[in-house]
Amino acid sequence: MKVGIPKEIYPHERRVAAVPETVHKIRKLGYEVVIEAGAGDAAAFTDATYAEAGATIVPNAVALYEAADIVLKVRQPIATAAGAHEVDLLKAGATIISFIWPAQNKELLERLAARKVTVLAMDAMPRITRAQRMDALSAMANIAGYRAVIEAAENFGRFFPGQVTAAGRVKPAQVFIVGAGVAGLAAIAAAKSLGAQVRAFDTRPAVREQVESLGGTFVEFTFNETGDGGGGYAKEMSEAYLAAEQAMIALHAKQSDIVISTALIPGKVAPPLITSGAVVAMAHGSVIVDMAAEQGGNCALTERDKVVEKFGVTIIGLTDLPSRMARQSSELYATVVFNLLKEVSAPEPTPGIAIKMEDEIHRGVLVLKGGELMWPPPKPPAPRAGGPTGAHKVLEAKPAHPPAPAAKGGGRLLGVLVSIALGAAVIFGPPQLIQHLTVFLLACVVGYHVIWNVTPALHTPLMSVTNAISGIIVIGGMLALFGGGTGSLALGAVAILVASINVAGGFLVTQRMLRMFRK
Amino acid sequence: MIVTFRSLAYLAASLLFILSLRGLSTQQTARQGNRYGIIGMLVAVLVTAVALLIPGDGAGAAAPDKTVVGILGAALGLGCVVGALLASRVAMTSMPELVAILHSFVGAAAVLVGIATYLQPAGTMDAADRSAHLGEIYVGILVGAITFSGSLIAFGKLRGKIGSKPLLLPGRHLLNALALAACVALGVIFLNADVAWPEPGGSLLAAGMPALLAMTGLALLLGMHLVMAIGGGDMPVVVSLLNSYSGWSAAAAGFMLSNDLLIITGALVGSSGAILSIIMCRAMNRSIWNVILGGFGADSGAKPKSGAGGDVPAGKVNETTVDQVAELLLAARSVIIVPGYGMAVAQAQHPVKEISSLLIEKGIKVRYAIHPVAGRLPGHMNVLLAEADVSYDIVKEMDEVNEDFPSTDVVMVIGANDIVNPSAEDDPGSPIYGMPVLQVWKAARTVMLKRGMAAGYAGVDNPLCYLDNTLMLFGDAKQSVTKLLTALRA
Repeated sequence: MKVGIPKEIYPHERRVAAVPETVHKIRKLGYEVVIEAGAGDAAAFTDATYAEAGATIVPNAVALYEAADIVLKVRQPIATAAGAHEVDLLKAGATIISFIWPAQNKELLERLAARKVTVLAMDAMPRITRAQRMDALSAMANIAGYRAVIEAAENFGRFFPGQVTAAGRVKPAQVFIVGAGVAGLAAIAAAKSLGAQVRAFDTRPAVREQVESLGGTFVEFTFNETGDGGGGYAKEMSEAYLAAEQAMIALHAKQSDIVISTALIPGKVAPPLITSGAVVAMAHGSVIVDMAAEQGGNCALTERDKVVEKFGVTIIGLTDLPSRMARQSSELYATVVFNLLKEVSAPEPTPGIAIKMEDEIHRGVLVLKGGELMWPPPKPPAPRAGGPTGAHKVLEAKPAHPPAPAAKGGGRLLGVLVSIALGAAVIFGPPQLIQHLTVFLLACVVGYHVIWNVTPALHTPLMSVTNAISGIIVIGGMLALFGGGTGSLALGAVAILVASINVAGGFLVTQRMLRMFRK
Repeated sequence: MIVTFRSLAYLAASLLFILSLRGLSTQQTARQGNRYGIIGMLVAVLVTAVALLIPGDGAGAAAPDKTVVGILGAALGLGCVVGALLASRVAMTSMPELVAILHSFVGAAAVLVGIATYLQPAGTMDAADRSAHLGEIYVGILVGAITFSGSLIAFGKLRGKIGSKPLLLPGRHLLNALALAACVALGVIFLNADVAWPEPGGSLLAAGMPALLAMTGLALLLGMHLVMAIGGGDMPVVVSLLNSYSGWSAAAAGFMLSNDLLIITGALVGSSGAILSIIMCRAMNRSIWNVILGGFGADSGAKPKSGAGGDVPAGKVNETTVDQVAELLLAARSVIIVPGYGMAVAQAQHPVKEISSLLIEKGIKVRYAIHPVAGRLPGHMNVLLAEADVSYDIVKEMDEVNEDFPSTDVVMVIGANDIVNPSAEDDPGSPIYGMPVLQVWKAARTVMLKRGMAAGYAGVDNPLCYLDNTLMLFGDAKQSVTKLLTALRA
């Protein structure tokens, strides 16, 4: 079986679907690897490094597709400059793993189906915990979010961090992030680490904690709708909601130097969150990075693939943000693609694709099976709190734990014991007993108050010291010893022996322990 | 004169004990607290001895026999030597066992003192006083016997000589209730008995001693059964409960001997142990009854997982190597180490400390996160880390550290399991649901050092192992940690 990596021909695409490290790993799965000459050039991986990792270099795309049983790609296949289509170069019965966007590319699907190939779409990866290391979207969104901040910084004529210099005071840049998905969170982190003050907004209240964990301030927006739309993605909201949202965003945009918008709804046109009015209201020199430009843009004035200036505001509509960091994004993409390849590969010694239809991941990414349309897969499960957070995907903590009945139980227990003891004393009690009970109860109360504030670190020493102190029973043994009678004498002696072991052992071990605690 | 002097000395000793407990509640005053305790004990023993030895208006009416004094000295001396040897020899990792066995000694002493007291001539007492006195003896022996056998079982479990899984006899609550009822019945016989020993030809029911000994036997069985039914994961609670019992035993002995010092001291220890147990139970979000009666951890993770955690498959873990972990640690800016019982068992605290020092030297922020019930004894981990010379400034409690996890690059979990189990928060079907846990999964990466894929003491599977940002480093904690240290130094 041969795995082929062609050179990407999509305009401006600089990434590559395998790097020397993953070539090595793919070979360890039992595959041979062929790669088109120059495939990694734009991402700064030379043919020589691929050859060193064990790949066979072939001179052109035709030769590559001829050889490859499995093709790993970044962008979906398109028509080549020579007029042919990449699909038509594929071997019949081959498998292709790539971004496909089946919903947007019906024609491509038909073409692929006609070719009787198996297609696994990286963009169709289900959003479940187990699939995280195959999640190309999150990996790329992470890079895009970082790059968006870098692009904004380049077009922003001022510092990010606040400074007080001899030449005057510099206010920190105000960055407002709309949509705190993976890209939004990455942007928060990047902007924060450059020194900006960061606010972020998202329709899903669950992401507040994630925003705050990165040092951002979560912008509150109350409206009777939440935006959690299944599988961790946002859903489309009502018109009234949108209007209120636009007004809120306009307000925050006005107070911001940089707005980075990342709001996307799967399979839909991006929501128009930043109106022209909001742009006009922003200060001259501000920057908007519209990361939704490919899906129509969050900003009404965005021009796809361009950096434009409108009303003194720079609006960046670049759609190739990950590709602008080709080396980094190739490394990460190559790793997630390799993880998927490994996941769907039959175990050695006969490598090859073995799709398990009952597996959620296999079923999810499978678009075409030998030319037969398998997409879309059955519905994903109901939304879970947490949402997409990429590498930081976490389980949500419950704000409060179910109530602990322990304390109440203990208090009640104590109460019952006290009442029983007192009752018994009053009924049966000779005066002496009542006196003893009084002493006993007072001592209990003192013990109770003394102990509550103990620091947990000292629990063990506390226990060993109380242990030593309860060796006070040695006095009982002494009284018995002198009480008269051989039986009493013998029993008393043994009692003294064991109790004094306790006393000496307890105090000394406490001392030993305490000596170890140091600041 | 001596009686007054003795009473004053007892008052002083009681106050010293209170100061001792008070001192033990903060690091700064702890050593002083221990010293107060020692002084208090010396005062109490010396004054009691003097009062007994000096003939006159003290308790020892007759001039003391030379042999009795010799026995006293020998027993005290031998006991102190044995105790000192135990204390200096014990490894810090075996601290739970030592504490458990010491509890059993108090229980044993209480039983012995009780029986000895019963054997002594009653003197002049009216009927009411006498039955109160007999009742005190009876209760004292009952509590002492339960403490004794329960602590022995706890010792066995902590030592690993007895399996840590709870032993659940059919109808165990009924058995306990029956045993208690039998104790009450025997108590009635005991109180109504005319003589201590069965006289030749007399009825057994007319004598107190057989009933007393039968009750002692029953109480021993009851203590064993109670602790046998509690799983290993609940040992911190059991140990502190037994601590409390040992206090109550001493207090009961005080009642039977009309000795206020014993009553006060016993009550102090008893209530402090009870509170410690409650603190432990809160840390596990369980009630004390649930711990005592629950038989928790019996189901070995057989319970099916429910809804929320459903997409976490059992079986697929990311195994890692020592070198990778070393790389990860060196690349991190902030690291949290979560030690558990596994670290104690493997005695890995010293190399762990070396690792943390090394990382701190390299400018990496390192903290230790201690769960309240980590280990087998309250505060167990703190003691081990202190032994390894870890500064307690970087040892954090759960509540202090939980909010730090999201901003942490690497969490290293060493031999801990249940206390970092996310099911406690997101799986209502889990037996540990609702227990506050260290939220290590919020960190960018978690490395779990584990012997194998076995479940923790609670017998619950841990979905943390299968998370994508969790790496598993299998092997004995000490070996893994030592290798890691070498890799970090390389």
